[in-house]
Amino acid sequence: MITFPVRFRVRQIGIDGNAMGQSRILLCEEPGAFLIGKTDEADVPLTGDAVSRRHMSLVLTQTDVRVRDEGSTNGTYVNGTRIDELVVNPGDQISIPGWVLELLAPAASAATTTHVAGVAVDESLVSRLVMTNDDAPPPQRRSFPAMEFDGQDVVSADALRSSGHPVEEVKFAAVGGGLGSFVWVDHLRCYGIQAEDIKAIGTEEVCYQTYKRYCKNSQIPDHERLRSNSLSRPDNIWGFPGYAMREVGKGIGVKGIFQVFGEPTLSESYTPRAGDVFDSLDIEAKRIGWDEMFLKAQVLGLRKTSDGRYAIATKMWGGEATGQARNRYIIADVVHLSTGYPATRFVDDFQDFITNHPDSRAQVANAYEPHDQMYLEAERRGGPVQVVVRGRGIVASRIIQRLFEARKKNPDIRILHSMRSAIGPRDGAVFRKARRLVRNNVEIQPFNWPKSCWGGDLRVEYERASDEDRGIMLGQLGGTTTAERSDWIAIAERGAEEGWYEPIYGNISDLEPLPAEGREPPGVKVTIANNDGNDVALNADYLIDCTGLIADIRRSPFLADLLDTYKLPRNHAYRLKDGKADKGGPTGLRCSNDFEIEGLRNGNGRVYAAGTITTGGPYLAVDSFLGLQYSAIRSVDHLVTERIHRVRNLGPFRSLGGWTKWMVGARP
Amino acid sequence: MIPTLAGRLQTRLILFFLIGVPVTLIFALVQTNFIWSWREIQIFVYFLCSILALGLFLDPIYIFIQSTRWDRDWPFAYQFFFSWIEFGIVLFVARSGWLPYLDPDFFQGFRLPIIHFTLVFVPSYLFLLGPLQAIFVRWRFKGGQLGKM
Repeated sequence: MITFPVRFRVRQIGIDGNAMGQSRILLCEEPGAFLIGKTDEADVPLTGDAVSRRHMSLVLTQTDVRVRDEGSTNGTYVNGTRIDELVVNPGDQISIPGWVLELLAPAASAATTTHVAGVAVDESLVSRLVMTNDDAPPPQRRSFPAMEFDGQDVVSADALRSSGHPVEEVKFAAVGGGLGSFVWVDHLRCYGIQAEDIKAIGTEEVCYQTYKRYCKNSQIPDHERLRSNSLSRPDNIWGFPGYAMREVGKGIGVKGIFQVFGEPTLSESYTPRAGDVFDSLDIEAKRIGWDEMFLKAQVLGLRKTSDGRYAIATKMWGGEATGQARNRYIIADVVHLSTGYPATRFVDDFQDFITNHPDSRAQVANAYEPHDQMYLEAERRGGPVQVVVRGRGIVASRIIQRLFEARKKNPDIRILHSMRSAIGPRDGAVFRKARRLVRNNVEIQPFNWPKSCWGGDLRVEYERASDEDRGIMLGQLGGTTTAERSDWIAIAERGAEEGWYEPIYGNISDLEPLPAEGREPPGVKVTIANNDGNDVALNADYLIDCTGLIADIRRSPFLADLLDTYKLPRNHAYRLKDGKADKGGPTGLRCSNDFEIEGLRNGNGRVYAAGTITTGGPYLAVDSFLGLQYSAIRSVDHLVTERIHRVRNLGPFRSLGGWTKWMVGARP
Repeated sequence: MIPTLAGRLQTRLILFFLIGVPVTLIFALVQTNFIWSWREIQIFVYFLCSILALGLFLDPIYIFIQSTRWDRDWPFAYQFFFSWIEFGIVLFVARSGWLPYLDPDFFQGFRLPIIHFTLVFVPSYLFLLGPLQAIFVRWRFKGGQLGKM
């Protein structure tokens, strides 16, 4: 229950990171949604170049206080973590570039309210809000876990206990709480570890929430199919029965089975529906007791302890605890890191455009961010709409499919597909004796990598190769590809025939906003330097960038702290240049073939990693369902071999027993 | 399927011992009305061994075909097709009497060998599609090889 008025302390932050000027109190006297942004129409106007016109909203109801990001350029952060929408508690710090809002506890006495209400207020503000001067002293510096962690690479368990924060001990801890953690914990449970010995720490109870969000943003709703194999079942460590068989069991049909029989040559490769994957994960989460193991908290740091274990500093998230009571330490014998894509950024020219031209923000979107309103607007508008889609690959294919669906409501939508160059049918990538197929200027591959990279001869060869040879192999096997789907191929061919789909080859050299003129809606002018050396200028209504996100693990404060404290080595991307392998920039965390981060070894303590943060290592397909299972089984088998944490081997009989339990739905 | 050469050989052998031999023995016993007579039963066992030997011999060729595919994979449909080709080759070779240990007269009729092979092939093939993974949990990551990674 929320006591009104809800109070926020608002401070402006200068470039040096210190508070500027007097802090002020924002009072919200009634429930409602209050927009914060740079425009005069916002309920709380805040200045600053990096503040978007519609930056974030404070949503107050009778039961909770939420912060919602309104599609801002530079993001809204709560306690340092970027959020889309989150419930906040007193003590939480909400930051946008240049400003920090702190949610305060309800006023101690009604007298404070009346005193504040008497102060003259700015007439342009909504009467439900009051902005006033704040005479409270500046807040104490947050000292968790800096007090115990800063400057130390080994902490003692006793020091943590005497810090006054609760200390919980557990054998296995998974940091991240997403799909990578879920798959590792699933393996531990199927290998016979009890639920009470495991903790999974993350900010979202549903392990696929982040993955599902990326899917929805890139226009893959629950009924659409993913780019994944029938046997890649993140909810089943044996991979059998596959999703195709599940479809038979659910009465969806036998087409999947025939696809699995003939794929990829005699039939299109089978892929599961997004919703089916999520449903099956829900069932497995219940079976292994995920709710008992999950701790909803943000992980702030990790340190080795003096007794051969690891201390994880966590801050409880979204529960009833407030203030300092939310801080606690978890001491674990074995830790698993799978924190996923850290705060991502867009490609440079896209980032520059949205920073320099915030007014045109609604005209451009990256395929991985929420941008549904773009399709709805395009559908509702009468008259011609020109959309530039940049990039080829699986995301671009899905976006073009979505635009094709939008054409049913507005047949005047035209798609200009900007690609770097044309790829002829015989121009696909070459690896030894094989050549990749090309259809409609996009290279075709059923999955993100050649199938053999997951568990065939390429997996072994890549693992055994040196860093330089891996770089060469990656250059030959990688590249942007899409799946060979007859519906997508038909869309491109029909579009070219009917004139509403046109590929344009060249690099985008310039992006300029086109402001609204009279009845002409705003747009973006895209200049493409084509391969003849000429510049082609296109006046587009929308630009959708499908070239992907740039993930840098240093942008996660947790990982950056770990990298700095323990000087952990990173992998490097080697590229073939002039015939020799050239060492490129750093990529993921360096780990062993068993996905152990050897730099964090501490007596009997072990730390493992999985997922995208291990990019550049001995396994190519780390960022896939089957790849997460591969990492999990390698790391758990490593624990078995090391014989120090009493993990029993999963031999043929125990494996069959575990599988039978899965089939009947019994707890492992 | 994404087998390696070692994986193909090992998987053939394990399917042979787990399914091929037991099914063949039971089938042979049914033919002899459950009288154990090695002279009668041996022909079925030798026939199966011949198919196995041919398969082991042809495996490197299948691996070569795999290497010309971009995904370096082996579609399930291909395995279905080539298993029957192997059966056909051994059947016709046996019929023409080129194998000294197989009596050509026995293979003049098609009915018995086809039923025998079907009874061995169908469970083995179905096992390959998934149940093998339930017993050997690392099999699918090792390209068909057994054991730990």
